[in-house]
Amino acid sequence: MKTLEEVLVDWEAVIGLEVHAELTTLSTKMFCGCRIEFGAEPNVHTCPVCLGLPGALPVPNRDAIESIVLAGLATNCDIEKRSMFYRKNYMYPDMAKNYQITQGPVAFCMRGWLDLDVEGPGAKERFGLTGAKPGQTCDGVSVTEEGYRTRVGITRIHMEEDAGKMVHLGGEGGRIAGATRSLVDYNRAGTPLIELVTEPDLRTPEEARLFMQELARVYRAIGISDCSMEEGSLRCDGNVSIRRRGDVTLGTKTELKNVNSFKSLHDGLTYEIRRQAHVLEGGGSVVQETRHWDPAAKWTVAMRAKETADDYRLFPDPDLAPFDLSDEFIESVRSRLPELPGRKAQRFVDSYGLLARDARQLVEADGFADLFDGCMAVAGPRAAQLAKPVANLLINDVAAYLNERGADGMADASIRPAHLVELASAALAGEISSRQAREVLWVVLAEGRDPAGVIEERGLRQISDVGAIEAVVDAVLAENPGKVEAYRAGKTGLAGFFVGQCMKRMAGKGNPRVINEVLGSRLA
Amino acid sequence: MMLGLASMTAREIRAGLLAGEFSAIEIAREALERVEREDVRVRAFLEVSKKLALEAAARIDAAVAAGRILELGPLAGVPVAFKDNMNLVGTHTTCASKMLDGYASPYTATCVQRCLDAGCIPLGKLNMDEFAFGSSTESSAFGPTRNPWDLDRVPGGSSGGSAAAVAAGLSPLALGSDTGGSIRQPGSFCGVVAVKPTYGAVSRYGVVAFGSSLDQVGPLARTVEDAALALNVLAGHDERDCMSQDRRVDFTANLGEGVAGMRIGLVRSFMSAEGLSSEVRAKVEEAAAKLEAAGAKLEEVELPHVKAAMSAYYVLGPCEAYSNLSRFDAVRYGHRTPGCESLAEQYEASRAEGFGPEARRRIMLGCYLLSSGVYDRYYYRAQQIRTLITRDYAEAFGKVDCILAPVAPTTAFGIGEIGDPTEMYLADMFTTSINIAGNGGMSMPVGLGCESGLPVGVQLIAPAFRDENMLRVAAALEREYGAALVAPGFADERAGE
Repeated sequence: MKTLEEVLVDWEAVIGLEVHAELTTLSTKMFCGCRIEFGAEPNVHTCPVCLGLPGALPVPNRDAIESIVLAGLATNCDIEKRSMFYRKNYMYPDMAKNYQITQGPVAFCMRGWLDLDVEGPGAKERFGLTGAKPGQTCDGVSVTEEGYRTRVGITRIHMEEDAGKMVHLGGEGGRIAGATRSLVDYNRAGTPLIELVTEPDLRTPEEARLFMQELARVYRAIGISDCSMEEGSLRCDGNVSIRRRGDVTLGTKTELKNVNSFKSLHDGLTYEIRRQAHVLEGGGSVVQETRHWDPAAKWTVAMRAKETADDYRLFPDPDLAPFDLSDEFIESVRSRLPELPGRKAQRFVDSYGLLARDARQLVEADGFADLFDGCMAVAGPRAAQLAKPVANLLINDVAAYLNERGADGMADASIRPAHLVELASAALAGEISSRQAREVLWVVLAEGRDPAGVIEERGLRQISDVGAIEAVVDAVLAENPGKVEAYRAGKTGLAGFFVGQCMKRMAGKGNPRVINEVLGSRLA
Repeated sequence: MMLGLASMTAREIRAGLLAGEFSAIEIAREALERVEREDVRVRAFLEVSKKLALEAAARIDAAVAAGRILELGPLAGVPVAFKDNMNLVGTHTTCASKMLDGYASPYTATCVQRCLDAGCIPLGKLNMDEFAFGSSTESSAFGPTRNPWDLDRVPGGSSGGSAAAVAAGLSPLALGSDTGGSIRQPGSFCGVVAVKPTYGAVSRYGVVAFGSSLDQVGPLARTVEDAALALNVLAGHDERDCMSQDRRVDFTANLGEGVAGMRIGLVRSFMSAEGLSSEVRAKVEEAAAKLEAAGAKLEEVELPHVKAAMSAYYVLGPCEAYSNLSRFDAVRYGHRTPGCESLAEQYEASRAEGFGPEARRRIMLGCYLLSSGVYDRYYYRAQQIRTLITRDYAEAFGKVDCILAPVAPTTAFGIGEIGDPTEMYLADMFTTSINIAGNGGMSMPVGLGCESGLPVGVQLIAPAFRDENMLRVAAALEREYGAALVAPGFADERAGE
């Protein structure tokens, strides 16, 4: 098979995503008062409603409606003032009523979009942008300094209830094949899910991956889901087809399932694009089917093809009246909309002069943007001056610390903005080196102490006093007249030797920048 | 001492209890004895909840003994029996189906709980057409109920057990459910007051659904006042049924006001309908004349689209039923065919065995009508008709306060007499349009038909959430015709004194 780059020369990929998110921040289910709790004893969080017992009726959870409206507003959707719940009829034991309550043609949220900034190596997957200049619009995307920006349309976001969980016993590895008994746990049944469907606007696996990451950031920012692909609170199916460059009609698509990480989504789509090209170039045709990504084997396999199309007999749920949302309700939800990651990153660039890449890194990491805002508040009038060193401390050093400490590091570390500002300002003033700043930071984070104390205790404070450093430099030069002569004759590599000698005399506390400056002027 | 419960109304029983004439335990014992003795002929009950009845009675007597009479509810000491599609903890809820044979109610329906909270003595569960599909109670998996007025005839359906129990004096009050006429038609066949309130007036929570947008719970009684007392208990918002509305009125308040000045409508197309028997038509005309004599103003009203009501009903009902009944899959509860090799086989075998012919017919019908390519022609069109019929009623009620109509085209037919299911469907020809529009309707007994000598009810139809209108007219008719009698042969020996 050809590589993705080779395929994309002749073929254009068309990708659309269906993204399910569990509203993990809600405490109760969609249509009953049962608690949502993962890992509980099977079937403890159930009642007549979520067990679908005869006579039980659904009553919508107002908080869940708020969550989906929030999601819609955050993704630039129109909020439909009147929408309805529908029944999707199919029989399976994990669905106690044997129908799923979902939405019909009109969902709570319709017609939205998200912008993606595609940068770095991933941007190269987009064919035909080579040589394009920033500011240019090319192939429907706008070219930027470090890549391009593309807008992805969102068809709709609708609300539906989740099913229970099946456990198969006696088969191989818990699979249904060969199992002798199947058990159902209805704790998850009736948990609210929101399903977002994109327009087929994505053109590369990288764009699909970035879309998912951006969406996860948005959902987390508005506090409706923890968006863990690994734990299944964010799930994604990819629809992908390819067509010859220049063609307008869509090719036959396949649906990619079992992508439980951003990487799987990227790799699975890449494989599918390559596979489809291989089939088509070999004279075959793509079969419309669902394919399962196998991350270990790094290929997709066709799932059992259905002989007939599913007929879910969708009809309006007669137990639930049309749902009317008032303007006041929608506006009250809008007023709770926090600053979204994209806008926040832009603000960091505009207000503090951060690099776009650094700003994005801050908003992408959990809690960093808030911490950064906290630091800027502490820095006050010096904010613009300290923004970059503070951002660097966060992106490089705090991140490294948290990485080593594991995911919960942020909660444990209780990082105080004042400490970060103090450190950044010491580094900026040359009182400590950036290496030392990092060393101090780790002690501060691990022991919860204040930076000044740690610097003092370890005797780390750099000597930046020009007078003191001039004395040392003069002494070193006087001791090494031969080397001074050699340097002046062109052996500029000796600069390092002089710095080292100065440092040695100053027990490592000399400010290297000042030493360099003084050496420069003395040797000039 | 015999209390003579058979001929007593709910109001009289409560009054006697409060006056200390008898105790709740005496009521419970006599009611249970009567059911045990008399129901062998009628077979209205599928289950007698003796223990629950005696416990409830003991609680009431304890309250009386402690002087807490003010705490007694509006149904204190009143025996009430429930259609077997209503969950009541301590009883089974079978919907008269083999599918749910032995299914113990895991919770209690709101309508039942409200009766319990009002101090009723729960007598047990009543027979019905399987899953409420039918108009004769013959489709019950546990055998038919008999009409107390003629044991060879059907009591109507689907709430046939409820109507028969009240007509036989086994219980002064019973609850039924009505999706297309299932309270009113048996009410007419058995000669009892039978009320289907406006959709949303009474909670459906805990009542096994047939057609969710059509189902409504209501009382059957021998007097209008008893029915109104029961409605006072039943009506009101329930947070577990989001279709239930928060409109509470005292339904007994205007029963004595008479009909002077009321505008009462007659539907021309109903009165000239093919299939309407002459004795039923005569009764409707007689009732109209009596109301006019009592000061009501009669007006003809047009309901141009009701002729499509039956067609729409037999689309909407089966569609909703198909979906509602898909939960009976033998996985968690209900009839399961043993020895199946696969899930699909277990579904098919268990449902084929567990559901009777009428249930299977409606499930298949609904499954077909909702399928893609068919949906627009039937379900969607039926919803359009629904809008038109609702509008028809709204317009008619701009002119009149209540509509007078037949309930069923005939009086009770013989057991086994109607074999063709579509012929059976005609029993609902005057009732389904009210469920489609959602407003209230009731059957009011107006004596016996001149040809059959069997009870005839007339239908009173009220604007949405103006159920008190039809009760007021019913009370006027009751004064003309006298209160409904216990069926001959079921009255207490004392009753004639």
